Parts: sequence; structure tokens; C-alpha cells
Amino acid sequence: MKNFLTIIFRLTASCLVAGLIMGTTFVLTNKAKKANEHAREQKVVFALLGYSGGQEIPESMGMHELYRYVVTDGEGQSIGYLLPVGEHGQDGGFSFVRIGLDGSFLNQTSVPVSEENVRDQGERDKAIQAALGGDKTIRFTDQTIVVTDHGQRTAYLLSGKFPGFKTNIAIILALDPEYSVIGLEVMEHEEDPGLGAEIEQDYFKNQFKYKPFEKIKSIEVAKKPMPDEYFAALEGNVDEAAADDIMQQYRDQDIYALTGATISSVAVSSGVKGMTRKFAYRLDLLDNVLEQQQIAVPF
Amino acid sequence: MSNDKTSLQLVTNGILKENPIFKLALSMCPAVGISTTVMNGIMLGLAVLFVQVFSSVTISLIKDFIHPRIRIPTYTLTIATWVTVIDLTLAAFFPVAYAKMGIFVKIIVAFAIITMRLEMFACKETVSDSFWDGIGMGMGFLLGMVTIGFVRELLGSGAIMGYDVLGFKPLLFFILPSAGFFVVGLMMGFFNWIETRYAQRKRGNA
Amino acid sequence: MKRLIRLILCAALPVFFGLTGAGQAAGLVAATEFGADNEIIVQFNTPVDPAEATDTQSYTVYEETDPDIRLTVSEVSLSTDGRQATLSFAEPLNTSVAHVVTLHDVGGVAETSFSVSKSYLGYLFSILISALLINNFVFTKYLGLCVFFGTSKRKQTAKGMGVVFTIVIVVAVSMSWVLFQYVLKPFNLDYLQIVIFIGLTSLTVQAVDTVLRKVNPILFKSFGVYLVLVIANCVIIAVPLLMASNEYNYFETFMLSLGAGGGFLLALYLMSSVSERLELARVPASFKGLPIAFIVAGQFAMAFLGFSGLQLF
Repeated sequence: MKNFLTIIFRLTASCLVAGLIMGTTFVLTNKAKKANEHAREQKVVFALLGYSGGQEIPESMGMHELYRYVVTDGEGQSIGYLLPVGEHGQDGGFSFVRIGLDGSFLNQTSVPVSEENVRDQGERDKAIQAALGGDKTIRFTDQTIVVTDHGQRTAYLLSGKFPGFKTNIAIILALDPEYSVIGLEVMEHEEDPGLGAEIEQDYFKNQFKYKPFEKIKSIEVAKKPMPDEYFAALEGNVDEAAADDIMQQYRDQDIYALTGATISSVAVSSGVKGMTRKFAYRLDLLDNVLEQQQIAVPF
Repeated sequence: MSNDKTSLQLVTNGILKENPIFKLALSMCPAVGISTTVMNGIMLGLAVLFVQVFSSVTISLIKDFIHPRIRIPTYTLTIATWVTVIDLTLAAFFPVAYAKMGIFVKIIVAFAIITMRLEMFACKETVSDSFWDGIGMGMGFLLGMVTIGFVRELLGSGAIMGYDVLGFKPLLFFILPSAGFFVVGLMMGFFNWIETRYAQRKRGNA
Repeated sequence: MKRLIRLILCAALPVFFGLTGAGQAAGLVAATEFGADNEIIVQFNTPVDPAEATDTQSYTVYEETDPDIRLTVSEVSLSTDGRQATLSFAEPLNTSVAHVVTLHDVGGVAETSFSVSKSYLGYLFSILISALLINNFVFTKYLGLCVFFGTSKRKQTAKGMGVVFTIVIVVAVSMSWVLFQYVLKPFNLDYLQIVIFIGLTSLTVQAVDTVLRKVNPILFKSFGVYLVLVIANCVIIAVPLLMASNEYNYFETFMLSLGAGGGFLLALYLMSSVSERLELARVPASFKGLPIAFIVAGQFAMAFLGFSGLQLF
């Protein structure tokens, strides 16, 4: 019996110590993790917008985050956007704008949430839920950053996730106001090295660059070898003027598939296609509603 | 039981005589799975080194406190704790490298090599000896991973640590996922061959 | 041996058949399914008016995750008996997500909604096949290799290890699922995953050990030795981690663990069959033992690559 008690006591003591160590590490690293993730995203975003390597970011540039939710209540579903309100240059807090499935305006609720907390999904969900009341359930779907310069929109940054060959592929996609692609960055993937993992290489992802919306809408993957000059231009091995020329020339071409990784190539291009099309459709509806209801937004 | 080996002997023992990858053939999963680059090898090797050293020292510190009947659960708990610590730390401070290693950091918890060293060494020896033994085993694993990573990266993508050194890709096959088995098998065979040759020559000289 | 396999089958079958019972709700619509890659087929209980049923305006279709994006129905054709409508879409459908179809003013019903998805049973089966073959943990994820090379020298050992491993993994992962779903997730304790999952595995191993020793000493004699090895197998920790990151429900988790265990058994059996013959072959001295085993495993891995992209459902 005494034996039994000592075992229990020692095991409990070890568990407590172990729990203490793990808990402390979690608390210590969690903040750093979030900060690092945010910093990495920020770096990618600036690189996509063309401010890589220490280039100064103009002060007139603004970034406005737009969070999309699907709201379900007794009557059915609707789409909600959490967006910053107020004219350019003034802070009006955040508002949750609900739009019906057919694109009609439903209502607007002010959400008291700070600029810091809005980035954290848990805090954000809590604030929106509190503002909406208990009878509605919300589900976060995606977020978009609208980039402005002097109050004029210059780009949209979309983050999205779709299934690749092995697991999900997460990307950030930069679009210009006409929904043409500015750039694409692969954030997370677990594709096979040497095959599907090549999606993060310049010669694959830069193919999407400058593709117009009309082309992206119906983009396909071509299983043929990539011409040498195009490869060189995509990798940045030729001077800028020549590269621009070549890129223009291949603007309306389909995406060249990666050798031995057609499934990964198709996954990325149809992912980009779907994201762009859905975003364009939704943003038009949202803009329409914002204009009709005269909701002032900084973008 | 006391141990008459010096700390240097303990370290070299782990690196050469009882190398976890090439000699003991334990903890092979990452050696096959993610040894495609030198960088991966270094990162995971350091993680294993950390877990091995900390677990060895912890067990050696509390060896009088462990009840013999719950020895194994205590080892598991110790290893799991240190794996969690290194997992959280890597995820927070090296997110890009961590993403490349996928599930393999968490899987250190099931590595036979660590439990084996705790059972065979740390629970009997002094703290400092356990420390050096941990360093030896961890370094042995790290060097093994780096060697495989070096061969695969150089031959597979013509680069070392991400820097293009050859300018062409001699054997793309080496970097493909299933080639890990071949590379490890060929290297093991190669080391065996060197060893027999070495032994023969020694005998010839004597 | 046979008894054990029968035991596993007995546990798995009710789960299969219990799920087939779920069908479409009664009413106007009898059944729905995906047709060709841009078609949805709707079966009606009673014949419907062709004028109503072939009007593309009578249907609104969207993917369950994107309720605001309506898919355009380009054409509807009705079978001659008026009981089957085929909806054609301008674009191929993404059949991996459920589609919600709403009918307006067809067959005297003002509005009715139903969801079209691939059969859930097929989905569960695809998880099983995926863990068993396409993403075989040994040959395509390179996990559990220490135990794999250690116990694949004899067919007898391979079978014993594989079966014991399958049982332990199914039990341990089921418990992990319960704990993950009801304790770790609600209380935000995700960082304790590793400790909890490995702890539950040790517990299962200990429990099986104790029970088997008492209940069937003969069985224990032949299988007991493998129990200790289970804990040193990386797959046992990889499966619950995978389950947690994919947020599987219980049936999916069950299928995943069954597939992982079965896949390990399959890999061991294949490898041991080759190993037994390898002993008779003339292998260069330096390659005897592990090196040649690795090269054989590499060939298996390449063969298993052939399963990638396999889609049954």
C-alpha cells in the first residue's frame, strides 16, 4: 500500500513539474509566435507590392483589413464583413455589415474592437458575437487587405487555402484594382521536394504575374515544356526591359505545368482562379452596398 | 556503477562507434523522410540534441527519485516535455524551417534512441557523464543527418545549404522522396565497406 | 491469429452498415447524386411538370461553404417519365464539397432545399484506402522505420507485430480523439497534444498487456513481445497528430487509424516476404543486413508512388 502511494505521489509530482515547464514555454513563446507570423506576413505582403529589401514604404499608403464571415440565423444564411469605417484619415472604429445572399443590404452593426485585437481570430469572433447577439452563429471564412495610396485603391491582398497534392497549400495573392494578378506567394505547403515543392520557385509562381482578370477567370494548365526565354524571364535572369517584353508576350498563355507535378500545378492555378473570381464577385456586391447605404470607408 | 570513460570518449562514442543512424540504425524516419537538404538536417539534429541532452540530464538528476516500477512512464513524460518545449520554440522563432520539417519535430517523442540512452546510461550514471553522453548521441545523430543531407542536396539539386555550387542537377532522383531509402542504404553499405577495408589493412600491417 | 482478424472485422462492420442507413429526407425529392463532372442528377418521387422542371430559373445551386456564390445552371434535361432531372453547369463542379440545391415552384412545392454530396461511406472508405495505400505511413511518409526494419525479417513476426500494432493504434487513437475533442480543444490546451497522445498510447499498451496476460496467456506468449515495440513506433504518435490537425470526426478517425495500422501490417508483410528470400540471395558482404533492406524498401516506396492520385470514390 505504501508502495502504491509513493508511486502515485511521485508520478503526480513529475506531472506537475512537466506541466509547469510546458505551460511556461507556451506562455513565453505564444506571443513571439504571433508576432513572428505577423512580421513574416507583412514582409511577404510588402515584397508582393514591390517594396522588398529595405525600400521605404510611403506614408500615404494605407492597409485596411476586411474580414468575411458567414452568418447563420433562424431565417437562413447571410454574409457579413467586418470592416473599418470612417473617411480616409480618420478612425471610425469597426463595423459589421451584413449582406443577403442576393447582394441586398441587411444591416450594419458597430463592433467595439481595438486595432490590435482585430487581428486575433478568437478576440475578433468574440467581439462580433457580442455585437450581433446570441441568436446568430458566425463562421470566419477569409480575410482581404485593401491597399490604398492617398485614399485610392492600389491593390488587394487575398489569403487563401486549398487542397494540394498532399495537404493544403496556403497562398497570398496580390491583385490590382482591375483584379489582374500582381504577384503570388506560397506561404505553406507540404508537397514533395523536387516535384510539387517547385510551386514555390519563381519560375512557377511568377507565371501568374500580370495575367489579366479575363485570362485568370478561365486559366488552365498546359502540359508542355516551358520555352527557355520565358523561364529566364521568370527567374529574373534577363534585364528588366527584356523581361517585361517576354512577360507581356506570355500574358495570355496558360500556366505551364511543373514536370512530374501536374496535380500540384493544377491545384495552384485553379485555386488562384477560384479565389480571384469569387473575390471579384463579392467585392462588387460589397462596393455596391457601401455606396447605396453611404457607409464611409477609408478605402 | 561507475564509468571510467572520459567526457571526450563519451562524445566520440556517440559520434563514431555507436552512431545512432549508421551503426545502431535507430531513429531512421527523419534520416529518410526529410534529409533532402543540409539545413533540414541541422535543424532537426539540433532539436534531437536538445531533447537528448536535457532528458539525459533530467533523468540523471532525478534517478534516485524515480520509482523503479514507473521508470518507463517517467522517461516518456520527460521526453514528451522537452519535445513540447523545443516544438513550441521552433514554431515561434523559426517558422519557415519548422514548416519544412512538418510532423518530424513532434515525432522525436517516439525516437527509440532517446529512451534507450535514458534506460541504458542516464539512469545509472552521474549528471556530467549523462550530459556528455547526451551530447555524443545528439551530435552523432546531427552529423548523420547532415551527411545524408549533404549527399542528397549536392547530388539532387546541385546546391549546399541552398547555395548553388554545381550549377546543374546531377541526379534529380536523389532529392525525390522515395530516394531517401536508397541513399541511406547505399551510404550504410559504403561505410561498412570502408570499415572492412580498414580492418583488413590493419590486420595486414600487423 | 485468425481470431484476431475476425475480431477486427466484427468491430468494423457495424460501423460500415450503420452509416449506409442515412438516406434522403422524404418529400418531393427521392435521391440526388453527382453525375458527370459538371452534372447533378435529381430523382423525384412523383413525375413533375416538364415546363417547371426544365426551367433553369427553378433551381439555385451553391457550394455549402460559399452560400453567396450561385452556380449557373446552363441546362436542365428531364427524363421521359418525368422523374429524373439532370442539371448541367457551365463549369465542372468541385465534388469534394457538398452542394446545396434549392427548388422553386416545382411539382407543387413552393420551395425545398437539399444538399448533394458524395456518399459519406465512400468518403470514409477513401480515408481508409488513403492511409492504407496512397499515403502508406511506412513507404510514403517514412514513419515507423525502426520497428519496421526490426520486425520484418520473418513473416510470422511481421504478422504478429502488424496485428498488435493495429489493435493498439485503433484503441489509442480513439481515446485520443475523445480527449482531444472534449478536453484539449475546448480548454485551448493544444500545446499538450504530444504529452497526452503519447501518454494514452503507453496507457493502452499497458492495459492490453495486463488484460491479455490474464485473459489469454497463450496469445500473450506469442504477442506480448511486440507490445513494448509499439510505443517506439512513430506512426502511433503521427496518427493522432494528423487527426487533430484535420479535425476528423470519430468515424473518420477510426478509419484513419485502421488504415494506418493495416498499412503498417501490409508493409511489414511485403517486406518480410522479400527478406526471407534475400537470405538465400548472394548479397555483397558490405550490403548484408540493413543496407540491402533499405534498398528493397526504397523499391517498395517507388512502387507505392504508383498509388498516388488513385481515386475510387
